[in-house]
Amino acid sequence: MADKVTLSTKAREKKGSRDAAQLRKKGFVPVVVYGHKETPEHLYAKTDEVSSIIRHRVRNLELETAGKKQPVLVQSVQYDFLNRDVIHVDFRRVYADERIHATVPIQVKGIARGTMTGGVLDHPLHSLHIDCLASAVPEAIIVKVDDLLLGQVIHVRELHLPEGVKALGDLDAVVVQVKSQSAEVIVTTPLVGEGAVEPEVITAKKKVEEEE
Amino acid sequence: MPQMPKRVKYRKSQRGKIRGNATRGNTVSYGDFGLQVTEAGWLSAEVIEAARVTAAQFVRGEGRLYIRVFPHKSITAIPAETRMGKGKGEPEYWAAVVKPGMVLFELSGLQEAAARECLARVSYKLPYRCRFVTRNS
Repeated sequence: MADKVTLSTKAREKKGSRDAAQLRKKGFVPVVVYGHKETPEHLYAKTDEVSSIIRHRVRNLELETAGKKQPVLVQSVQYDFLNRDVIHVDFRRVYADERIHATVPIQVKGIARGTMTGGVLDHPLHSLHIDCLASAVPEAIIVKVDDLLLGQVIHVRELHLPEGVKALGDLDAVVVQVKSQSAEVIVTTPLVGEGAVEPEVITAKKKVEEEE
Repeated sequence: MPQMPKRVKYRKSQRGKIRGNATRGNTVSYGDFGLQVTEAGWLSAEVIEAARVTAAQFVRGEGRLYIRVFPHKSITAIPAETRMGKGKGEPEYWAAVVKPGMVLFELSGLQEAAARECLARVSYKLPYRCRFVTRNS
């Protein structure tokens, strides 16, 4: 989205989970704005508008409350138990020239050549912690895997990050790799040996001691 | 063989009530696609094993399957035609307690169409309504 998105909000008169639930029934989402060591503001906005912003992965926007505008960043989003509806959003006050830490998703593009020769694409890292300008938070880090052969690995340090973006955390972490199929094991919690019919009872020994 | 705990503190547990929805374990965390349950209940170890076998046969080394539930709860039963009394029955099977919203299985390394097909087959083995979810949904 090229233009700056504006979300109109109103101040909440009451706080708390019951009032938040009532707001949601009426078609609003409770939101909060904090940052820059100022007093947090408890607001609400229309559910449709908030959902649209989240769906389009808008990071930077302007909040309009009673005619006053302030630039904010989407800090965190809470969903309902089925991960369908937005139930609360945290916004953080930012300046455009301020450097911030943010977590952005990693998107894998293309089909790795190694998968054509019997490999399996493993994608253990799904998001990246970055340091960047508040006005230029990338929507996602795109990793092209077209030329990835069997056994090849892309680490965090090898990612092509947009200008002004620095990766934080472990730079040797594996982002994507092509493994051989034989190395791929279905991961399950360990099974009990065939001989065991019932599990060991921890408290069973204590009973014997008490009887003695 | 169905899963069960290696060691437990007590052999038998009370039935309990399943209240509310899942507030943890309700997102796709390990793979790219998942199967989310929308009803509450007990999921027996046999059912989990049947679902695992179904998914494993479909995946066949191409992708990776993650099982996010484990049967921690022992379920007791009394034999048929038994007189009243004489205490609680013996453990019959092991079950996982599931709440609406829990992601039971996850898949990675597959295209979405294949993952949908695989998890649809898995859902046929389950006694509860489920929905297909992706990491970005």
